[in-house]
Amino acid sequence: MSAHSHTEGQLPHEPEKATLEGRNKILGFWLFLGAETVLFGTLFSAFLALRDQVLDGPKSQELFELPLVALATGLLLTSSLTSVFATQALHLQKVKAMIGWLVITVILGLGFLGLEIYEFTNYVHEGHGFTTSAFSSSFYTLVGFHGAHVAFGIVWISLLIGQLLKKGLTVTTAPKAYVAGIYWHFIDVVWVFIFTVVYLMGKVG
Amino acid sequence: MASNHTTEEQRPVRHKVEGPKKHIVAFIFSILLTLIAFAAVAGGEINTDFIYIILIGCAILQVFVQMAFWMHMKDRGHTFAIIGILFGVFVVFTCVIMAEYWAWW
Repeated sequence: MSAHSHTEGQLPHEPEKATLEGRNKILGFWLFLGAETVLFGTLFSAFLALRDQVLDGPKSQELFELPLVALATGLLLTSSLTSVFATQALHLQKVKAMIGWLVITVILGLGFLGLEIYEFTNYVHEGHGFTTSAFSSSFYTLVGFHGAHVAFGIVWISLLIGQLLKKGLTVTTAPKAYVAGIYWHFIDVVWVFIFTVVYLMGKVG
Repeated sequence: MASNHTTEEQRPVRHKVEGPKKHIVAFIFSILLTLIAFAAVAGGEINTDFIYIILIGCAILQVFVQMAFWMHMKDRGHTFAIIGILFGVFVVFTCVIMAEYWAWW
């Protein structure tokens, strides 16, 4: 072991930034998030340009149900809070509390995903399929991409919970958990724009 | 090892760990902004342009709060994070303006 100024079995303060690899991982992840911003931005710009091209399909005002969207927003917003609690537990080096908060985050994410699947099947039954109109295609691409990110995050954090149970909190697992927290917040930030631009502005017309 | 041990014990640094309070405040702030946005649309009967301004304003404010507190962007050592995201935002605005221009003018 390297002659580090910390006693054995004791993690340094902010263990996610203790190693060069951990710091590089966090920096690289931020650059990835910059690229993700571009990805979602192009999807948003396509949606904004095409959202009135409905052809024979239903308009956004007839389609969207605000209570459902409000519930989904509440779930995702709360899951963002629980994931920041997990990061705080990481800094306090309480592995059990951290795993608990991550489990709650995953459950809330699953609830959000369930609502989105329910919503999409409803839309298809109302004649709003992927190829119905330019509006429907850009809608499903944008919101579906976000849903796919949520699904990926659920799988990622679930695997991370398994690794934390097995290996505990180390300078290797800490950056992974920290970065997963940032990813989850980013998903929430994208959703803020989706419920504003897609649903609320779609309802206004 | 032993010398290392003593130097570490000579300066018992207690790092302060932040409490959950500011995150709960950020959460309440986010919920309030969300409620304002939904109420503006559900309430109806207001000028459409005015609703748009409220919606965009609430979204930008909420994203700012979440990025600063929940994504720790206000913490030190986040210069490159801010540069990365700002570059993304720059490309996004270019795309949005281009698409809107291409579609409507």
